[in-house]
Amino acid sequence: MAPEAGLSRATFAKLSPHPYLLANLDPSDDVAPARSNGRTPSEVRTPTVNLSSLSHAHGSAVVRMGDTTVICGVRGETILTSNIPSFRESNTETELTEYDLLVPNIELATGSAPQFLPGGPPTTLAQTLSTRIFSLLHSSKLVQPDDLRIWHSRSEESYGDEDDKMEDEDEENDEDDVANSKKQVVAYWVLYIDIFFISFDGNPFDAAWAATLAALRDTKLPQARFDQDRELIICSRENPRPLTLKGSPVACTAVVFTGKDTDQSDESRYWLLADPDTLEESLCDESITIVVDCSGGSAQILSISKQGGTNLDPKLLTSKEFITWITTRWKGFTEAIDSQA
Amino acid sequence: MADRRRINGPGGTTLPPLYDDDPLPRPTRSREPNGVRPVYLKTGVTPSASGSAYLEVESRNGAPTTGMKLSCTVHGPRSLPRSAPFSPHMVLTTHVKYAPFATKSRRGYLRDASERDLSTHLETALRGVLIADRWPKSGVDVVVTIIEGEEARQFAVDQGSEEWDMMNVLSACITVAAAAVADAGIDCVDTVSGGVAALVSMSGDGKSEIVLDPVATEHDEILAACCVAYLPSRDEITNLWLKGEVSSSDPSLYRTLIARAVHASKGTSQAIVGSLNEAVTGA
Repeated sequence: MAPEAGLSRATFAKLSPHPYLLANLDPSDDVAPARSNGRTPSEVRTPTVNLSSLSHAHGSAVVRMGDTTVICGVRGETILTSNIPSFRESNTETELTEYDLLVPNIELATGSAPQFLPGGPPTTLAQTLSTRIFSLLHSSKLVQPDDLRIWHSRSEESYGDEDDKMEDEDEENDEDDVANSKKQVVAYWVLYIDIFFISFDGNPFDAAWAATLAALRDTKLPQARFDQDRELIICSRENPRPLTLKGSPVACTAVVFTGKDTDQSDESRYWLLADPDTLEESLCDESITIVVDCSGGSAQILSISKQGGTNLDPKLLTSKEFITWITTRWKGFTEAIDSQA
Repeated sequence: MADRRRINGPGGTTLPPLYDDDPLPRPTRSREPNGVRPVYLKTGVTPSASGSAYLEVESRNGAPTTGMKLSCTVHGPRSLPRSAPFSPHMVLTTHVKYAPFATKSRRGYLRDASERDLSTHLETALRGVLIADRWPKSGVDVVVTIIEGEEARQFAVDQGSEEWDMMNVLSACITVAAAAVADAGIDCVDTVSGGVAALVSMSGDGKSEIVLDPVATEHDEILAACCVAYLPSRDEITNLWLKGEVSSSDPSLYRTLIARAVHASKGTSQAIVGSLNEAVTGA
């Protein structure tokens, strides 16, 4: 046991964070090794999810992982195809990217941590996170372009009948419509995805992505139709339509702690710390984020990004333990979201 | 000019959904004229900040558009940057921002005039409470994020009742900031709390009546409103904002209006005391 006269835990952590974490992970006596936050290296903070807590957004979610709290609100707005300069009717593949229909933004400057104060431009971290969410939204093909299309058929019939026909379109088989009218896309929904950090304690990407996924799951867009006279999109409050999402990708982040910067540095030893908090993130150079989707039964990897350091090798990334860990992590997140839905 | 540091979306104009079916039923006031809406206040929501609080003004069932949700963080007191001139007392900075999803029409990320106005009012309200002399050469940042604003903003713009809602928002900002400042352990003379009272015209006859904690959409017309930041144990007001048309023939009406607003603030002050007690005893 350490003598009582020594530094208190909090002071030790503040003065020399590196040796502090190392002493916790590699204790000299027979205390079980743990991280300084009390978790084991592969233990994550259990996420809790709350859906539909905002009344003005079309979909919203609050995700809390330990002391990291994120609110995500999804709001749909419409854009007429005549306002999209690059619009081509034949384009049915790259609509989302080409017309910029998904607009995620992350705001850290809510005083969520002392280093993020409002008043200035978004920090580099906020810009990087927004871009990562943006590219993952597109590369995962989570949102189906068909959900965002607003159709209109320019029929030969009088305009009076048109409204009724548009509303019935979902139920009726519109074979006869095809014969005398041309159905075309007149507008798109644009999804503004705003992610606000209320409290920041490490691992922002996992939390932000989980909030995005949960909020998109919760999103219900109103029924929309085109008013030819006013050239406007008119919506109705009845029967809002949920988005159909493809799969449920989950981001899993871990950092590598090597014990560098301490006097007992040993290059070959390292610890993989899952779901890092702010202290751990500040002490580790190497990090890995894997986006995985196990909804099909087996683990499918959508993206891997690894920065800094050379400790993680392919062998570890394909090891049984690692795959089991990301699968459990995926389960943890999807169960938290599903329990609310 | 597009903001290159954020993701801006399509270049063309996007429109919020326009509904053609019946608007949501107009809420009616079901509480007593001297009743305030219940609030939920919790401190310590952001552990990495020196002080923080979360306030929820309850939306009643059936009227989902009358609630408010705010979070506030306090950072400091900490030393001022080297470039700052010497200050014998604490420098207070306040920042109020609506989240883009807080109101019916989407808000931008840059602060607009009404948000700056709210920040200034909040600063005045808090400045009178803090014992700034005890913290020379240091700064405190108070950041309020409005997660959900009062009612549907579009509705408010149509009715011209937007300014009235700002008073409710300000009162909530004052309350949540006071709780966060207390949570940060910054010396104060008292806990300040916000309260709003309004002079509304009664439907039917031309009479008017004073109500506490008004929700603009619940009344036909608001003639005047008053928002105070009040210190209950010292019986002082640090910020007073009164506007509207009060007939000049009755000067006591001003005093009554302020007295009612003070009365409303006493209600919210109990919530602050309750949540701080809970934080102290729970720890």
